[in-house]
Amino acid sequence: MSIEKMTMMNIIGKIDMVDDVLKNLLKTRKVDLVSAVSQIERSNFLFDVNDENVDMLVDLNYIHTFEKSEECEEMFRKGEELKAALDLDFQVDRIDEDMKLVSKEELSDELDSICKEVHGPSTMIVALKKELAYLDDFHSNSFRELEEFPVKVEDLRNMEYFDFKMGILSRENLLKLKKNYDNILSVLLHTGSSAEGEVYFAFYPKKLESEITRILRSLNFKEIILPKSYTGTPEEIRASIESQKERLHMEIEGQQKILDDIKAKYQDRIRSIMEQIWITTRLDDLKEKVAFSSNYFYLSGWVAQSEKEEISSSVAGHDDVLIKFKEEENLEPPTKLKNNWFFRPFQWLVNLYGTPSYNELDPTPFVGLSYMLLFGMMFGDLGQGFVMVVAGYFISKKMELFGGLLSRIGIASMIFGTLYGAVFGIEHWIPALWMRPFENINDILIVAIFVGIFVLLVAYIYGIINAYKRKDLEEGVFGHAGVAGVILYLTLLVTVGGSLLGISIIPVPLGIGIAVAALLAIVFRLPLTHLIEGKRPLHGGDVSGYYVESIFSLIETFLSMLSGTISFIRVGAFALTHVGLFLAFETIGHMMGSAMGNVIVLIIGNIFVLGLEGLIVFIQGMRLQYYELFSRYYSGDGKEFNPVSLGK
Amino acid sequence: MGNERRFSAINTKLRVMRSRFLKDDDYLTLMRKDSVAEQIKFLATSTVYGQVLDEVENHDDIQEVELSLERFQITQFEKIIKYFSDDYEKYIKSFILRYETEDLKLYLRALARGDDLEKFSQKSVTRKKYYNFSYDKVKSSKTLDEFIDNLKDTRFYDVLYPYRHEDYTKLMFYMEMNLDRLYFDTLYQSGQELNKVDTRAFYDVFGENIDILNVEWIYRGLKFYNLSPEELINYTLPHGKLFSFKDLKALCYGDIENLKKVVSGSIYKELVNEEKDLDLFMGIRVQRHLYNKFKNSFSQGKLDISIANAYLHLLEFEIKDIISILESKKYGLSYYETKEYLVRDIKGSDY
Repeated sequence: MSIEKMTMMNIIGKIDMVDDVLKNLLKTRKVDLVSAVSQIERSNFLFDVNDENVDMLVDLNYIHTFEKSEECEEMFRKGEELKAALDLDFQVDRIDEDMKLVSKEELSDELDSICKEVHGPSTMIVALKKELAYLDDFHSNSFRELEEFPVKVEDLRNMEYFDFKMGILSRENLLKLKKNYDNILSVLLHTGSSAEGEVYFAFYPKKLESEITRILRSLNFKEIILPKSYTGTPEEIRASIESQKERLHMEIEGQQKILDDIKAKYQDRIRSIMEQIWITTRLDDLKEKVAFSSNYFYLSGWVAQSEKEEISSSVAGHDDVLIKFKEEENLEPPTKLKNNWFFRPFQWLVNLYGTPSYNELDPTPFVGLSYMLLFGMMFGDLGQGFVMVVAGYFISKKMELFGGLLSRIGIASMIFGTLYGAVFGIEHWIPALWMRPFENINDILIVAIFVGIFVLLVAYIYGIINAYKRKDLEEGVFGHAGVAGVILYLTLLVTVGGSLLGISIIPVPLGIGIAVAALLAIVFRLPLTHLIEGKRPLHGGDVSGYYVESIFSLIETFLSMLSGTISFIRVGAFALTHVGLFLAFETIGHMMGSAMGNVIVLIIGNIFVLGLEGLIVFIQGMRLQYYELFSRYYSGDGKEFNPVSLGK
Repeated sequence: MGNERRFSAINTKLRVMRSRFLKDDDYLTLMRKDSVAEQIKFLATSTVYGQVLDEVENHDDIQEVELSLERFQITQFEKIIKYFSDDYEKYIKSFILRYETEDLKLYLRALARGDDLEKFSQKSVTRKKYYNFSYDKVKSSKTLDEFIDNLKDTRFYDVLYPYRHEDYTKLMFYMEMNLDRLYFDTLYQSGQELNKVDTRAFYDVFGENIDILNVEWIYRGLKFYNLSPEELINYTLPHGKLFSFKDLKALCYGDIENLKKVVSGSIYKELVNEEKDLDLFMGIRVQRHLYNKFKNSFSQGKLDISIANAYLHLLEFEIKDIISILESKKYGLSYYETKEYLVRDIKGSDY
């Protein structure tokens, strides 16, 4: 339940070891790589010089970064083409981490040789299919209407005074032509259809060729050239096309068979090559963070202190590899949250706002407990809570953290459901262990405020601890979220609240005195801090500006204390809404008259309340966390620990 | 979605955009400037077009100004498109098709001259992202056949396909006609997809536009182009408001006198008014007719597509007039001559 201590790991090794070392580190999934060059620039690659490593350290002066080649991308593309050509259906996603890597050259050569083998038949198939599609599309249908036509094409071609054209006309243009048929010296014959439109034959006197051509062109006539090889009647042409198609089908089949053989032979090999390429690409990506000299590589990354041993042992098998762990003071390490299974889902809520910075208290446990408390109070229902637990369980298989979160707030809802005595909105099935909100409206609202005061106080304490960790005297002691702020808040609560309720815990003059002292501390927080730390000048520059700002911020402090406290009334209000909303459905249910109708309305009501009100309460809970609580203690400007791994 | 919701925001926006157009005074100032360079400087410093004319380096280059202004028009389209969705978005986008076909014509002409297409990409009006074809594919074309093949799977392929394997210097005319026809077809189709009120508003203008374009086309065809009546009628545009196919056919198979007679008996009689040289002024009268129509519908301010329609065209006419003024200055036309060539009638200009 904290933030892991991190340490910087620097590794130097022989350049040919780099792939193995990287792979081993990846397998641990516990290293967050940083740019080694910048580490070297900061002179953080400090090793004790001795006979063995003097070379490595001398080379540090001649470093360069890794230049990614496009080779891998090229190979990957080729592989994908192969997959498409052979109709292979696999995704490279599960990678065998222990796979033995071969060099890029070997991979590329093997890939090329397979490609070569596939290339012949696959291009052949493409060409054949194209031819087939052409025949299918165009010609087999173009003569449809002419099947009975007894004239041979060659006879048409040999006509002395007439000529013909075949082509496609759009409907619109055909209409135009038809409307003007009386002026056009040509016979137009509908003969069939092709993929691109209806096919027409135009017969016209040879003398008028150029005129007719121009007219047809103005109608966007798309001419189909009838190959010279087509002879005979349309029926005969059709038959010859059919036999040609037959032949093409046979040829395609033959080529496909060759491809299938190749596929059976290389299937597994291609897969393993693709995986190799994938790993190599991934390693190349990571190598951009590694620095190289002519003989050695230099690698840096964050690791958790507790996992130092494990990581060095994973690399220890290699000779000529130096590892050094070093506390890093100048750089802020990434934050690795360490929470037990119960609180882990709440990390999702925290990270949504911002990752805790390395020096901050991990707010997750507090967020977890308080969120469950608030959500449960607002949405207390044994049955609906149970639905959420079950839903959370299933969602967690896809989205682990969110599903977990849902289950946990579901549990909170169930607990409060038992306290309120509510099951699926119905309040007479089980007894209330504590109270029924709708029957104790004032009580539930007051309880809500007290709950709010309690969590606010805890938030103040977190804030003070965080300030202490940051060594921030100004905010921690004199700030409005620091010690002075807490004292002011408590005094106000006791004095104002006490006199409202008619009980006096401390005498009013004393209360006022303490409050004024706390206020003064807040107003004079900068000079006070500087006085204690011995810094001058006391106000750090613009004195009047400082006081204007300081006094105005007092108003804000008061407002935020007041609004922050009152804000928690919503917790009670939503507990009431929850019951009230369901009451409405219950009434509608009674009005239905039949038992069946009643049940249906209650089911719909439950779905409605669970979906809509559940969402609203979820958001309101988040709002209280982020706005009222986080603003008092949490900065969330850390960087998440992001270990490298082989997976996608 | 009802028209109240669809148009209340955009129509207000369009009114604001229109208010940035040149005023009559601006036109007067522009015409009174002594040189083209001064005119361009005035446009760049004192008008809304300054934002695009900044880039024009050569202050004598009217072509570059024209290009910048047309690009400005495209940016206005982009602004308007954001307010529409679905069929309405498609409708506005089909206006851009016109500039796309203009670019395509530019490339075709460059190809005919044997120029390298790469050089012409800076001269294109439309952004490449609005192209229905792949510019990268097209620009490598060396011949017309290649060019047409590279347009495969686009709507342009079918209309240009019949002209492969042809001597293209002669065929440029046919191809351009076909591209224009494609534009009007597409516009008409998308105009039909709007709701009832808007389809009517669209057609009210579109139909007249087609009518007068057809009249102009037949007039020129009869007078200048050596075209057969069959071809003439085939190149007319469908969906006119007043003239049916039959009417147009009669015009095509008749002579110019007949055309003048028919048109002067219609609402378009202004087109064949012979006070001034018909050959020269018919084109401007065509535009003037539309200009007045659009100006009218803009001021009516109905909550339908008519305002957007009108805005787009009024902007176009404004740009045309600006360019006419610059050209007139270049060729030394007098102030009064210049006015003759403008689409708009400028008030207070006769002193």
